[in-house]
Amino acid sequence: MAAGDAIVGHVVTFGRVLHEAGLEVGPGRVADALRALDAVDLERREDVYFSLRQTLVSRHDELELFDRAFDAWFLRAPVLPPARARMPEQVETSAVVDLADRTQPAGDDDPDSGDPVELGASGQELLRDKDFAELSGDELRRLRELIARIARARPQRHSRRRTADPRGDRLDVRRMIRRSLRTGGDPVERPFRARKEVPRKLVVLCDVSGSMDSYARALLLFLHAVVGTGRGVEAFAFGTRLSRLTPDLATRDPDAALARCTEAVVDWGSGTRIGASLRQFNEVYGRRALSRGAIVLIVSDGWEREDPELVGREMARLARAAYAVVWVNPLKGNPQYQPLAGGMRAALPYVDRFLPGHNLRSLEELAAVLAGIERRHAA
Amino acid sequence: MEFGSIDELEEALRRADYLPDRGLATALYLSLALSKPVLLEGEAGVGKTEAAKALATVLGARLIRLQCYEGLDVAHAVYEWNYPRQLLHIRAAQEGTLREEELFGPEYLIRRPLLEAIWSDEPVVLLIDEIDRADEEFEAFLLEVLSDFQITIPELGTIVAKRRPAVILTSNRTRELHDALKRRALFHWIGHPSIEREIEIVRLRVPGVPERLAAEAAAFVRELRALDLAKPPGVAETIDWAMALNALGRKEIDAEVVQQTLGSVLKYREDVDAVRDETLSRLVEAARTAAPAG
Repeated sequence: MAAGDAIVGHVVTFGRVLHEAGLEVGPGRVADALRALDAVDLERREDVYFSLRQTLVSRHDELELFDRAFDAWFLRAPVLPPARARMPEQVETSAVVDLADRTQPAGDDDPDSGDPVELGASGQELLRDKDFAELSGDELRRLRELIARIARARPQRHSRRRTADPRGDRLDVRRMIRRSLRTGGDPVERPFRARKEVPRKLVVLCDVSGSMDSYARALLLFLHAVVGTGRGVEAFAFGTRLSRLTPDLATRDPDAALARCTEAVVDWGSGTRIGASLRQFNEVYGRRALSRGAIVLIVSDGWEREDPELVGREMARLARAAYAVVWVNPLKGNPQYQPLAGGMRAALPYVDRFLPGHNLRSLEELAAVLAGIERRHAA
Repeated sequence: MEFGSIDELEEALRRADYLPDRGLATALYLSLALSKPVLLEGEAGVGKTEAAKALATVLGARLIRLQCYEGLDVAHAVYEWNYPRQLLHIRAAQEGTLREEELFGPEYLIRRPLLEAIWSDEPVVLLIDEIDRADEEFEAFLLEVLSDFQITIPELGTIVAKRRPAVILTSNRTRELHDALKRRALFHWIGHPSIEREIEIVRLRVPGVPERLAAEAAAFVRELRALDLAKPPGVAETIDWAMALNALGRKEIDAEVVQQTLGSVLKYREDVDAVRDETLSRLVEAARTAAPAG
């Protein structure tokens, strides 16, 4: 049947076009599309359109793309799938700024070490409230242990499955009844079950652009400690583009980890393209469900150089997938601070908790928030 | 299958007082023809749940609804043992002459929606409502049920569906669903209806409503949807509102009556506050101009 073969050819080609454009169209979907076309009247363009759309598209935000591709295909116009931003090539560059130089600014050769005021409990107290931007390299090293302790407070979630647990909160009636058979129906034993707690996924996106420079090293220490808490943590850095840091931070030694991060991130201290970076995250990693049900922690001053609207759009997408979104902005530590930067303003409607993060005390607050955060409830 | 074409199904749905657009009719038709679940997404109030009810009506099938929420578990979605009855039975039987099989028989089983849908002898439309509210683990479990249409109860064995229910899933898109679940289902996005269709729906659902009033109400709601509201009104709100206006004996809308009845269209205080005085008068004017003459 030549006509049938022609349709198969068309649909397979069309599926490939959609796949090129970024839709997830596998052989299963193409087979469904063919079965659907078999069931409807091919003379009616509307029915053909919906049959293909309902079998090949599974997300609302792919509809526009589909429509364009469908028009092109159906009207036999040249097929030009809209270009999606590709993951930029990770260029190795020798112009990478050495992190060691950043932690020890030139001319600051350790004047603070041995300062008697900063030893002991009161010294620690002072350190807690000191703005990260004002810390010396040595102070930063002393903060390490404290930061690691804060990072260990991972948010938990309840697993759906209950397991036997003598301190559980729910009577295991099924087991009780079965055991009571041995004792003539008297429930002598009272087995309990409890929901297992498992750590909730945590995704951290850290701004390392120029405007965040003075905070980046303290926050990277925090990231390193968080990644060290185990499975389900993903860390990314962004300036003008996104770099995945999880494998680099997985090294035990913080110095080695930070050094590796410096190599991995090509745009230290550059400008910021928050919107584009978020889009890259959503498209590359959100697609693999990395952000689904996760707590997403964004650390940035919200200083978008290019397109605040894009920030809003991508934040909406991110927030939909995430369990909750927490934004840490070191500038918020200043009592006079107002979220006036365009990017920050666009992002705020999608943020569940907005926190400072400019000193140790605010990191403690962050850890407390992460441990007790509730799911955002969409209207 | 009972319906030979999309037209036939569309016609049957219309007779059941449900006016689907062509896309929705196609989705429901394909769901039956391909025996695949259909996932309906769209803003609140566009008639996702209504679609399942209407489908059950035209198929002469029983509608079984599973309303999802965070924390929904097997005991509430699939089955549970009737413990009080089991305990009473143990008491009645007295000294240990009881066998375990007796106690875990079908008469002690409480069937929740999923098991009920699979166990049923009659045709069933299974509505899994607001799946985006359930936990991810439940979604994974649901995926299993929807692939095999069978459920295993340790004490009883595996129960296989005698006839596969028609399955409709709805989501308000508060989160993305698993790709695996989406792959198993047809996907249809329901947008707000065209103004002509909305007028038609209002006239069908509000008996005796003046044509002009239906047109102006639909046009006004359309103006509202163009604003940046916390909760844009759906078709359900248009119907409620037209009903209220009709009960007040109105033949058309003006700023005063809109002000009085706005509460049946906008459900959030901020939204009501955003639409008053000049904004309201402007929208009423725009709606009266835009409403198609009957």
